[in-house]
Amino acid sequence: MNDMPAAQPQTAPNYAMRREPFTFTGTTREYFGIWIVNVLLTILTLGIYSAWAKVRRQRYFYGNTHLAGASFDYHALPWRILVGRIIVLVLLVAYNLTLQFLPVLGLFIFIALMFAIPWFIMRGLRFNARVTSYRNVRFDFTGGYWGAFLAYIVGGMLIYGSLGLLAPLASRWIWNYMLGNLRYGGRSIDCDPRLDRLYGQWWLPAFVFVGGTVLAGALAFGLLFGLDFKPVDPASASGWSIGVMMITLYGAMIPLLLVFMLSSLLYRAGTRNVAMNETVIDGRHMLASSIGRRRFAWISVSNLLATIFTLGLARPWAAIRMASYMATVTALDSTGSLDAYASALQNEGTATGSEFLDVEGFDLGF
Amino acid sequence: MWKGSTLVSEPAAVSGLWRKAGEARAVDALLTIATDGATAVTDKAGVQLAASPFSAVTVSDRVGSVARQLTYPRSGVFETTDNDRIDALIAPHSGKRPGLIHQLERFHPRLLVFVAATVILCAALYRYAVPVLVEVAVAVTPPSVTALMSKSALASLDQAIFEPSKLSPERQKLLSDGFAGLVALTPQAKYEGPAYTLNFRAGGAIGPNAFALPDGTVVLTDELVELAGKDDEMILGVLGHEIGHVDHEHSLRQLYRAAGVTALIMLIGGDIGSGTEDLLIQGSALMSLSYSRGAEAEADRFSVELMHKAGRDPTAIARFFELLRDKYGDKDETDFLSTHPATPERIAETLRYAREVGVSK
Repeated sequence: MNDMPAAQPQTAPNYAMRREPFTFTGTTREYFGIWIVNVLLTILTLGIYSAWAKVRRQRYFYGNTHLAGASFDYHALPWRILVGRIIVLVLLVAYNLTLQFLPVLGLFIFIALMFAIPWFIMRGLRFNARVTSYRNVRFDFTGGYWGAFLAYIVGGMLIYGSLGLLAPLASRWIWNYMLGNLRYGGRSIDCDPRLDRLYGQWWLPAFVFVGGTVLAGALAFGLLFGLDFKPVDPASASGWSIGVMMITLYGAMIPLLLVFMLSSLLYRAGTRNVAMNETVIDGRHMLASSIGRRRFAWISVSNLLATIFTLGLARPWAAIRMASYMATVTALDSTGSLDAYASALQNEGTATGSEFLDVEGFDLGF
Repeated sequence: MWKGSTLVSEPAAVSGLWRKAGEARAVDALLTIATDGATAVTDKAGVQLAASPFSAVTVSDRVGSVARQLTYPRSGVFETTDNDRIDALIAPHSGKRPGLIHQLERFHPRLLVFVAATVILCAALYRYAVPVLVEVAVAVTPPSVTALMSKSALASLDQAIFEPSKLSPERQKLLSDGFAGLVALTPQAKYEGPAYTLNFRAGGAIGPNAFALPDGTVVLTDELVELAGKDDEMILGVLGHEIGHVDHEHSLRQLYRAAGVTALIMLIGGDIGSGTEDLLIQGSALMSLSYSRGAEAEADRFSVELMHKAGRDPTAIARFFELLRDKYGDKDETDFLSTHPATPERIAETLRYAREVGVSK
């Protein structure tokens, strides 16, 4: 870049914008082997290998995600992930034991958990950012505790408390926290999705949810009254009426779960588009996301069904399919060079040296 | 050692990209490794960018066909997508066998064996290993821990819900004596079994109830005694059931079992996707409900046997279920998702088992 003719790349904005698409080059054929060895060794080692499995999986997906001729990279050290997992496991066991034997303390534990979760989310996001690189330049995450508390705890309560009416507000906080606190090579990333645009993506899932719930309720009532089952004779210990209960229960529960899943998929896809399209990296590169909501929902649902009906064997195919789709609908509108970056954290040792917690289990809690 | 280096006649080299430490900008580069292990990275013009003995360079493991990095500490990173070339190049110099895990992962009929092994292992783990691990965990849990848990559980219940019992001392003594008589007949009474104690409380919000804590603390509420009227045998039948829970260490088992299964599912969670993970966890929760119903049935049978041994009415607990049924209209089998077997079923099963015990002795 030293010998560029236009000599003021820092001050004069370069308006020549190029669209750089993301591409994903992973294949089911290749990933299947990685996946089955991961699962097999994880089971054989009673979970210890899961840390190594995670690193291999992440390296495969990151390394096959390309942007402008370069790929992403994942640098986490397995034993560090293992330590993090052991800590989380011990905390979970302690939590469950306390809940089991000191039920009266349940409320206090719940409140304590409320305050602990943002910390775990913050550390998890920071860990993941710091072990990720693109073009040899590391990401960083500078979000603090209270930002996470607002986005995930207050936001979460807002979603439940308003029955989803205020979900876009929570989404705005979450995206702003997740992407807006990322740093790439010491440069800031801005993400401030507009509320009206988020609400624009809210109507369809809301309609699907309400309509679907009414339908599921009608179905359950239909089953309950349509199948006219006899009161049970105390002497006959047959499982027959239990079968009827099952039908009714699943008749109501499964459609309801599907409706909830479908509407949250539609919502997630829509808000990702809005948030990414308003994300600017270093004031000059803009993310672009163009997920088709129905296509995304279809891929997610068919992936899940395929995974279930093949007893998990279709999972590698499903994961590759989803990663490919996500790459094709994501791009970077870049002005200026992607080469002009350098890691803010020069020494890789300090980048991850203090991070002992990888808490991926908490990422999707809400 | 010799094989690798003699195969390559010209200077062993692989092309790739060179980036200075922490910098995004890349230049085309060539990596060479001499037979003595001296590595060098040069640009297209032949200018040397980095040099170091191989032992000082970190090579990333091979995963599928993703690009490999050779990191020169504080100097920079050489990156290449030519996985086969780089593996051949470093083979003579790296002490360990290269890419063992990668060899296992390659697309090969062997993967079918892995699939079969995984399926069998999952089933075996759930069927055999989890119960064994649970037994081990129960066995190594020191009695002081269960005692502490039980004491604090009772203390917090006393503080929040219970009031002191209003039963007359005579009635309490009568029931306590009956309880002690049953405890003396438990299989563990000969050895150092749990220290059973019977505690009377006014139940408050939890109403007619009896429950056992893992250290042998059994709590009986005044409301249950009132419900039973004059039928002390029936109360003893219920107490026998609670003693059964303690004797079989149900609550500890259930706790460890749920924790173990959930932990296993969470560990492969990243590999199976969050949707499938949620389904499995919900499924295992359903399974644990059925485990809990199994435990109730086991405690019912324990009560029948114990009452029979004590020379009392083995069907006493069935009378209690009938009373519950008549009083609370628990006539249909609405308990599919509950932790207890449906009442009519329990009555029938208890009566059947009481007949069986009566005939065999």
